[in-house]
Amino acid sequence: MISRISYCGTDQKGKIVDIDGGIGAVENIRSLGLEIGDEVTVRSRQNGRGKIHVVKNGTEILIGHELSTKILVECVEQPKITLDKIKVGDAVKVVKMGAKGDIRYRLLDMGLVKGVKLKVVRVAPLGDPMEVFINGFYLSLRIEEAANIDVEIVKIHKGNGHSKKRWGLF
Amino acid sequence: MHEDQILVALVGNPNSGKTSLFNKFVGANQKVGNFSGVTVEKYEGVIKHRGFKIRIIDLPGTYSLTTYSPEEIITREYILYQKPDVVVNVVDTTNLERNLFLTTQLIDIEANLIVALNMYDEIEAQKTEIDLDQLEKLIGTHFIPTSATHGKGISDILDHIVDLYTGKINIKKNKLSFSATMEGFIERLANILSTDPELSEKYSPRWLAIKLLVSDKDVYKLVKDNPIWVKVNDILMEALHTTKKEFDSDPELMLKEERFALIRGAIKETVKFAPKKKKTVTEVIDSILINRITGLPLFMFFMWLIFQMTFTLGNAPMEWLQHFFDWLGSAVGEIITEPTARSIIVDGIISGVGGVLVYLPNIMILFFALSFLEGTGYMARAAFVIDKVMHKVGLHGKSFIPMVTGFGCSVPAFMATRTLKNKSDRITTLLIIPFMSCSAKFPVYVLIAGTFFAASEAGNILFLIYLLGILIALFTARLLKSAVFHDDSEPFVMELPPYRMPSFRILVLQMWQKASIYLRKAGTIIMAASILIWIASNYPISEDIKTEYEQFRNDVTLSDKYNEDEKAATLTKLELQEAGKQLEYSFIGRLGKWIEPIVAPLGFDWKLGIALITGIAAKEIVVSTMGTLYSLGNVDETSQDLHDKLLANPNYNKAVALALMVFVLLYIPCFAASIVFHREAGKWKWTLFYAGYTMTVAWVMAFITYNISKIFFL
Ligand SMILES: Nc1nc2c(ncn2[C@@H]2O[C@H](COP(=O)(O)OP(=O)(O)OP(=O)(O)O)[C@@H](O)[C@H]2O)c(=O)[nH]1
Repeated sequence: MISRISYCGTDQKGKIVDIDGGIGAVENIRSLGLEIGDEVTVRSRQNGRGKIHVVKNGTEILIGHELSTKILVECVEQPKITLDKIKVGDAVKVVKMGAKGDIRYRLLDMGLVKGVKLKVVRVAPLGDPMEVFINGFYLSLRIEEAANIDVEIVKIHKGNGHSKKRWGLF
Repeated sequence: MHEDQILVALVGNPNSGKTSLFNKFVGANQKVGNFSGVTVEKYEGVIKHRGFKIRIIDLPGTYSLTTYSPEEIITREYILYQKPDVVVNVVDTTNLERNLFLTTQLIDIEANLIVALNMYDEIEAQKTEIDLDQLEKLIGTHFIPTSATHGKGISDILDHIVDLYTGKINIKKNKLSFSATMEGFIERLANILSTDPELSEKYSPRWLAIKLLVSDKDVYKLVKDNPIWVKVNDILMEALHTTKKEFDSDPELMLKEERFALIRGAIKETVKFAPKKKKTVTEVIDSILINRITGLPLFMFFMWLIFQMTFTLGNAPMEWLQHFFDWLGSAVGEIITEPTARSIIVDGIISGVGGVLVYLPNIMILFFALSFLEGTGYMARAAFVIDKVMHKVGLHGKSFIPMVTGFGCSVPAFMATRTLKNKSDRITTLLIIPFMSCSAKFPVYVLIAGTFFAASEAGNILFLIYLLGILIALFTARLLKSAVFHDDSEPFVMELPPYRMPSFRILVLQMWQKASIYLRKAGTIIMAASILIWIASNYPISEDIKTEYEQFRNDVTLSDKYNEDEKAATLTKLELQEAGKQLEYSFIGRLGKWIEPIVAPLGFDWKLGIALITGIAAKEIVVSTMGTLYSLGNVDETSQDLHDKLLANPNYNKAVALALMVFVLLYIPCFAASIVFHREAGKWKWTLFYAGYTMTVAWVMAFITYNISKIFFL
């Protein structure tokens, strides 16, 4: 299963298979000493949008958050991740609805039950809330609300690096 | 002709086309009111079909029948307690999965249900195929394709309503079963519940059982005090335990997941989707309207546009209305000769009610614009774009629009809070709107700032005043949310509906319905209040002052010291002086003097006290009262004379001026607005809080302003 290295948890192993970005990103990653085909293990990660430590053949490498979202790895296990961390374009499946109280009812009634597939469509201009596509309609929810929804990766959407450039044209 | 009337309720998700369908059914034949106790609008109308009288109620749009929002509670209680003969579930067929969830809940509650598969025109255009017979077999109720925009399927629905009512067709109950485990619990609970005669007479035991399993608070309360509760509770505990142990879940999750699984299964079996087009229109529009870069500027532009339309476009008709009431006043004044009656009708009623009615064009334009935004689907996007800012003070993105409107006028702003569904969000927004400086306060600022500050400073002062209002509003929101309501804002779990072109006819209809609510208010309470304010500022009349000034006037008329022009000028001056003296003598004048000790710490004298009190009638009046009190000609904000008078008064200085502007910014809005506030907030408790809070904040802030600026300017 392909994932972004930014989604992976501590001790998770993976093999770098692709870079989701332009030439600049590839160069940056190379300058850290990483190549496509490398086997890496996640050692530790900072919270939220922090940096991530990976180990390659015993050497520790520190990757910034932005860059870490661009490194695609093939891993054996599904990363344990919540919806708020998912990058625009990626498709996921709900594993567990952890929200409590009012929000839980709203989410359940909108069809966010276990097993449902959704795709992150965009994040609002100010960074919160986010918009997802689910069961044929568009739903918005706050990042803090999405943080209670455990998901697993269904499909990584490649091409984020390019689409960002296209946005600039508007 | 049949005697009986068939009661029909329309139920459906927001944006499923309920309103459009309702309009196709009843046409202009509709009445709008409120559901008792809440400001959620209730539309109803009566039509005839095949000799039957059918009364149709359009219930508010809802996603579910739980009790988490007023819409849900209203819909559920209506079905439970009014027991409509037929429930028509309007479904957006392009979005079956989510819409059918409500359908299954309606089946659980054992409503006499038929389903209108609305927007079927879009399904046909997409070339999606639906096996209706099979869908009916699986779900157990009747599915009728309709298109509200094309007027298709309308009579088909009406036929089904009559047939279901007369028993010619029926629906199959309990068609939707859950897994064996859950059905086991439901059955055992229902069996116990049906032994209670009182409960089983009113409710379906199966529905109660399901609702208990999903821990519905209201049903819980219903059953809790009955003797059967002990047995019921045992089974609930067992269900909780079993689902936890065997499925690592809970009954509520299980039931909802099974519901969605069942719906998904039914859709898989009956719907053949057309291949998805690469990009829908909505996706393209959204990629511009709410993208990272252009989203915010476009949002600001639309808000600015609404504001401009409401207050610039609305200005011309507002002035016509103003002229009309002026004309009416003088025309009526000529007919009525008795001075007291003339004054009460012309100065009291016509100018009072007229002063409220002049806002009508603004209200109509604003509501047209808001309905348009709501109807196209942009409103949800606007909330999406600005939510982060609003969430910081504990509010929902949708609160932004009423707040911006408050810069124009509080009356439409209060009414615009109707788009907020969450009660505490709504009350909070209502309570912070007074601090968004409304346009009627502007003349006061211009007069005061222009008098006491240089032209170069006045602009900055105005800006600071507006800024202070916004800061106080945000602070108030934070305070209310954390200290009074103890809850977070409504969850932002919100659908972003596809963009659609709303029907012009419906927009106009909705605008008119909102306006008529406002008009009815103006005709009653505001009229009474106008008379009251008139009496308070005209009575009692001092005979002494009257005779004194009659004497003065006589002296002037008879004197030969003046030429004719000078005489006329002196006479007008005397008349105004008399008016000032009489105002001082009246109830309001006495009140002003009486409150002098309260406003003295702010640097205000009794004249300002009176001006501020009369400002409660309408903020512009502050300026004209000051004019009367300083006995000048017709005063407006640029009147040089008033400037000089104010500057000449040793009591007034920059510190007083600033304090006065702060007070006017923050204290209670005008009377018309306060009435509308009361109507929208719904409880005396809130109206009293609103009055007390705005007054306190105004006083405290003016006090601080006065004392700090004294250090700087004196
Ligand atoms: N193509 C198509 N559009 C429809 C149909 N019915 C309604 N619409 C459009 O769908 C939008 C929403 O319709 P409304 O009637 O306002 O929906 P509603 O269910 O009353 O929505 P709420 O007032 O939010 O509960 C409008 O823009 C309608 O023009 C239909 O049968 N076909």
